[in-house]
Amino acid sequence: MVIQLNFRSGKPVYLQVVDQIKAAAASGALQPGEVLPCIRPLAEDLRVNRNTIAKAYAELESLGVIETVPGKGCFLKEPQSLLRKEIRRKMLIEEIDQAIVQAHHLQVPGDEFLKLVRERMTALEDKRRSYEKKEGLTT
Amino acid sequence: MSVPTPAIQLENLTYAYGRAEAVRDLNLTVKPGRCYGLFGRNGAGKTTTMKCLLNLLRPQRGKARVFGMDPNNDEVAVKRRLAYVPDQVAFYPWMSVRETLDYLASFRQQWNTKTETELLERFRLDPTKKTSALSKGQKTQVALIAAVCPETDLLVLDEPTSGLDPIVRREFIETVIGAYQEGNPGQRTILVSTHLIAEFEGLIDEFTILDGGRAVLTLEADAARERFQKIRARFTEPAPDLDFADALHVHRSGRELDLVVSAGGMQAVETLQQHRPESLSAESLSLEEIFVNVLQP
Repeated sequence: MVIQLNFRSGKPVYLQVVDQIKAAAASGALQPGEVLPCIRPLAEDLRVNRNTIAKAYAELESLGVIETVPGKGCFLKEPQSLLRKEIRRKMLIEEIDQAIVQAHHLQVPGDEFLKLVRERMTALEDKRRSYEKKEGLTT
Repeated sequence: MSVPTPAIQLENLTYAYGRAEAVRDLNLTVKPGRCYGLFGRNGAGKTTTMKCLLNLLRPQRGKARVFGMDPNNDEVAVKRRLAYVPDQVAFYPWMSVRETLDYLASFRQQWNTKTETELLERFRLDPTKKTSALSKGQKTQVALIAAVCPETDLLVLDEPTSGLDPIVRREFIETVIGAYQEGNPGQRTILVSTHLIAEFEGLIDEFTILDGGRAVLTLEADAARERFQKIRARFTEPAPDLDFADALHVHRSGRELDLVVSAGGMQAVETLQQHRPESLSAESLSLEEIFVNVLQP
């Protein structure tokens, strides 16, 4: 898994790390039980403050995406949300609303937007399948 | 929850060399655990500010506090809790690297020999070499090792990378900071002054831009990158003459309009959108670009 930071995106650096690890987990680039890079080497590699990575990992842990095993490191958990369904839906709705607003400003009409959503979901599924093949998980 | 004592607190700090004011009414708070940048051109007052923290200079007005203590009244207690790397490092030329580190360690209550060994190896420094035979970069590396090993709560670095070649710079500053922070995660504080801001882009949590001894801007790095944006629009006709409240720079050239805003990027984008641009993009400024834009209005 390669994390790439973009200081020009205007997005807080720790959130970029959080989102990329979440994306890697969703695409299968990172598998449940797999170990994440340790904080210090990752911080040095990305040329960021150690605290930034620590904050990202703490956030991922509170979201239930990863777990820390003392003395062993951080591991990706099986996807399971600790949050109630309606809260999970509400979180997703916020993100969707933002994307809809963005689509409006970029003058992307509704049907085209929905088509894009389907395309992106298919792309993610394909990526997942290719990782599963690599891992030898499919029969 | 009680607010922890700031690692550094400056209140109306003022210092003049004769009649030339180097620092004027400077207010600044560094919370424990942060990596704080002091950005400024040469002569902006960065070194003077740092020297006031170390009791190398006594402020003529205002006050400086390190962990709540006065560097003048509690000099020993303050110095016990901080390590300092000056902009010009100098060692006794007849000592070897090993002797130099042992000598510096003798002044300290603790010294992490594991960190020392690790960093000497990573920098490929020969401990038997005389300090007079070291390059400028190697001398800085030795000074940084000596500053990290005592495991103080505060690390004060004055232009640690200036005068070093870019390859050396690139690899070692995060190594040193990483080693320092690792010992007590979230608690070790760094104050670093520099005008080579790009080197510290990802390391800085919060910064103050100094100019002529005054604080021009204090912001968290993430917040700064969110606020300062470069917006570029191209129209099918000559660019409209618009008024932007938070624009630092507006540049119109034919069908193109470039602007740099210090806030309200979203509104500016919306305003531009109403004029149906052919293309429109916005990106954040780097800390270095923010520095340049703030100091050259």
